[in-house]
Amino acid sequence: MQTTPISVDGQQKWASLPLSTARTPVRSLYVHIPFCFHKCHYCDFYSFVDSRDRQGVFVDRLIEEFSALARHAGGGAAADAGEADAAPALDTIFVGGGTPSLLRPDLWARLLGALRERFDLSTIDAGRGEFTVECNPETVTAELMATLAAGGVDRVSVGAQSFDQRHLVTLERHHDPENVARALALANDAGIRRRSLDLIYAIPGQTLKEWASDLDRALEADDGLEHMSCYALTYEPNTPMTKRMRRGDFEPADEGLESDMYEHTVRRLREAGFERYEVSNFAKKREAMGNGQWAMGGESSDVTTHGPLPTAHRLPVSLHNLVYWRCGQWLAAGPSASGHIVTEGGGHRWKNVPHLTEWMQGVAASGGYSPIIDHEPPDARRALAERLMMGVRIAEGLCEREMQERAEPLGAAEALQRAAAGQAELGRLSLADARWRLTDAGWLFADGVASELMAALAPGESTGRVAGDSSVRG
Amino acid sequence: MQIRNFSIIAHIDHGKSTLADRLLQSTHAVTDREAREQLLDDMDLERERGITIKASAVTVRHVHNGEEFMLNFIDTPGHVDFSYEVSRALTACEGAVLVVDSTQGVEAQTVANAYLAVENNLELIPVVNKIDLPAANPDDVAMEIEQILGLPAEDCIYASAKTGQGIDKLLAAICEKLPPPRDSIISETRALVFDTEYNDYRGVVVYVRVFDGRLNIGDRIRMMGVGRTYVVTELGKYTPKPTKVQTLGAGETGYLIAAIKALADVRVGDTITLDIEPASEPLPGYEEPKQMVFCDFYPSSSAAGSGGKGADFEQLREAVEKLNLNDASFTFQTVHSEALGFGFRCGFLGLLHMDIVQERLEREGGVEIVQTAPTVNYQILMTTGEIREITNPADLPDPNYYEEIREPIVKMEIIVPKECIGDVMSLCGARRGVYKSQQYISETRQMLIYELPLAEIIYDFHDKLKSMTRGYGTMDYELSGYHKDRLVKVDILINGAPVEALSIIVHRDSAEQRGRALLVRLRKEIDRHQFEIALQAAIGGKVIARETIKSMRKNVTAKCYGGDVTRKRKLLEKQKEGKKRMKSVGNVEIPQEAFMAVLDQGD
Repeated sequence: MQTTPISVDGQQKWASLPLSTARTPVRSLYVHIPFCFHKCHYCDFYSFVDSRDRQGVFVDRLIEEFSALARHAGGGAAADAGEADAAPALDTIFVGGGTPSLLRPDLWARLLGALRERFDLSTIDAGRGEFTVECNPETVTAELMATLAAGGVDRVSVGAQSFDQRHLVTLERHHDPENVARALALANDAGIRRRSLDLIYAIPGQTLKEWASDLDRALEADDGLEHMSCYALTYEPNTPMTKRMRRGDFEPADEGLESDMYEHTVRRLREAGFERYEVSNFAKKREAMGNGQWAMGGESSDVTTHGPLPTAHRLPVSLHNLVYWRCGQWLAAGPSASGHIVTEGGGHRWKNVPHLTEWMQGVAASGGYSPIIDHEPPDARRALAERLMMGVRIAEGLCEREMQERAEPLGAAEALQRAAAGQAELGRLSLADARWRLTDAGWLFADGVASELMAALAPGESTGRVAGDSSVRG
Repeated sequence: MQIRNFSIIAHIDHGKSTLADRLLQSTHAVTDREAREQLLDDMDLERERGITIKASAVTVRHVHNGEEFMLNFIDTPGHVDFSYEVSRALTACEGAVLVVDSTQGVEAQTVANAYLAVENNLELIPVVNKIDLPAANPDDVAMEIEQILGLPAEDCIYASAKTGQGIDKLLAAICEKLPPPRDSIISETRALVFDTEYNDYRGVVVYVRVFDGRLNIGDRIRMMGVGRTYVVTELGKYTPKPTKVQTLGAGETGYLIAAIKALADVRVGDTITLDIEPASEPLPGYEEPKQMVFCDFYPSSSAAGSGGKGADFEQLREAVEKLNLNDASFTFQTVHSEALGFGFRCGFLGLLHMDIVQERLEREGGVEIVQTAPTVNYQILMTTGEIREITNPADLPDPNYYEEIREPIVKMEIIVPKECIGDVMSLCGARRGVYKSQQYISETRQMLIYELPLAEIIYDFHDKLKSMTRGYGTMDYELSGYHKDRLVKVDILINGAPVEALSIIVHRDSAEQRGRALLVRLRKEIDRHQFEIALQAAIGGKVIARETIKSMRKNVTAKCYGGDVTRKRKLLEKQKEGKKRMKSVGNVEIPQEAFMAVLDQGD
């Protein structure tokens, strides 16, 4: 039941997506704030240094997009027409960038107020949802934190990246390492209890010892820290850093060293009470959280799960990111933000146009509908491939029955099971408890496992082998 | 009507095909509008590679001094691999036009082809081509022709196939200087098969030159060599469009169609006679094509190491058999390798021929191939006195059972600029070459004559020669015999298991160096695995070199969020795709490049 695509100036808008076909109402939202002080050389997110003061008009447009999203997000037939009357509920919101904390507090107040007028945030307010804003240490002020807290923000993710000035320079980050602890304290003072820190390792020239020291300093920075994201520096295509590396300006970290750093991270954070629940994400066990005042949010996944409740639910994991990793649903606002809805036959993925001016013009011209690019319509095979790719990366893993039920109609159930068994034989995957989870040794090979599982879905992969076997017999 | 049968011979790229086209145009066989570049090459692959693979015979009419001539000309391949095809074409002629590029001068193949023509008692008309180019040096080139081939410089015709300059003079020379075909010497029909081609719609097309008697439609013909008979259903000539005729008389060339199913059913060089009134003696025959280079083709798929003859193998078999209908000059037989499963051992006329066959199999047969490194054939003198021929180092018997290994030796002519002689001589020396002589060509260039083991030149010798002479060096070779040398087989073991397809036969003195170089290359070509991989080179169980590929430590992307899904999915799909052209040996995945690493001489 595809509705007529809404198109303005020949561009496809997200409102052309049949949002009513979503299996359940969409209850997550990602908001992208593209502004930065400085464009970091390793970063491939859409962001830029705004030379003109366009923050105000940007927020106006963003609010228009919220309005349009709210009209469509409620589900049911009214969703496609954009005629929903009740404010749709959101369980998780994530504001990323760019540098969201660069937005002026008065604009933040308008943005947060508008969100609250258009969406039902009661789950978040009740402490069963999650509302995260990304912050750079140097931009955090008491005023900003108070504004965020008053607007319902209950979680900050602080981009520390490194505590070593030398490595910060390599990354082209220009904050003072001392500001990290200050920023976290300001958030805590404002009543934002859920705090996460981002770190980067495998920076060119970094030693294992230096990384270990970064980790220690991160843990010392905030007693109440409940979450850490530790990423190996990734050379994304088309970033200046990647170009310099390819040109031979510097050597990327050795594969062995990078692996050692990762293993150290897992060990060190485990000692500090943090459990790995995704390849690069760690959450502090509740019993290790002081008074245990933190309460885990409700089930926000749209994905049918079978079997026991995954351990991740007892951890202060990032609920919003877990929606991504479980291939759940979320709406998108702001330039370059991507969205996903789950339908019977798979799901729609799309991305708002990654250009501020184009996005603002598109939103203004159509009453809140951003032009979109990279729309991928539902495809059961693709959806399962994505589920495998994302699912192996989280500790809860994949439910074997769900995988079989979804592979069966594709004629790939047998091949998929064989591929999983093959990875189990290599010692990378555990098939225990009817769930497919990476083994301790398997975490470093998540991509290899994913690509082998995904390959089992390729058309003809299963039938091809059968034909080969029969010709041997014949 | 007078008949002239002739070939055009030249070094590659000296403008042979363009000259052929220009001749057709000048005799009005094709209109200017029809004239397209290199009319006589009709395969895509030929056009892409700019080389002529198939010989074609074309007949045109031309009036010279009021007299009508039938000109039959036979286009010949220009690459060294196809020199046997050149010789077949030459036997059907009385004369040849020798084309030399006026900007390049006499090259190695010019010399080789000219000698071949003289051996066949052909009259030569030297043509200095491309005189329209600013860099043309026709007088010097004419002097080179006189110096090295003994053809008077003043006999050279200066021409430009591109502008048409000199073409009339050339046509006149063809009519005046070339001898007419000899008359029938017996009354029975004898026609020589000098080429064949396979056409999807018409079956086998046989190119013939009638020497005695006559062929008519409806004749029951007999192939004197193979002894099979067919009824002629069509006779014709390419003008250059196929034009049917009722009869082909003595001295004429043309084509013949007779419901022949496969190229393998016709032997090039065979003599056709009439079944009802056969000749008693065949015409002096051609030589069979000689395969010089051998390699294995396996269907590429990482799953096929299991050893079964899977669907992939059947698809390859179909493709190989189909291509063999078109090109009977490559040989094939089923092989089974412990490490690589089922495949084909194929023989080729040369390396270019091998590349062409591989490309056509993939393009026309739709199969992906993993190819092992090419080798030559060796003669093994067994202790029993028997001589056994092997085309695969893996087939070398245990040293206790043989006396010596003999390898094919070629006589090589290399023409190089004077200042490069030192480099080229050291290259030949490093490749176990034996210096024979040196010949003056001009002020600036010399010809070197060497004897070299074929195994030392099949892979990169030509490239090396080209690069050390900045493209000016040219070479041509012919097989001169088999010599014994101190050769040993070096086995390559991957995690302790020998991989036959990586075995090499090398000189004892360079065995360590070659073995080590090979392992270093393998280490670079084989991706890291979950486990450590030991690479060893061994002679008869004694390890002479070893290398280790460390185990892979990680294969994981650090970051994966909502907006990354599509891109990451494509990356992971590619990661798997990249493993396709591989062969598993045990649980080690070996890419195509690794098999070719065998050829790296390390110099």
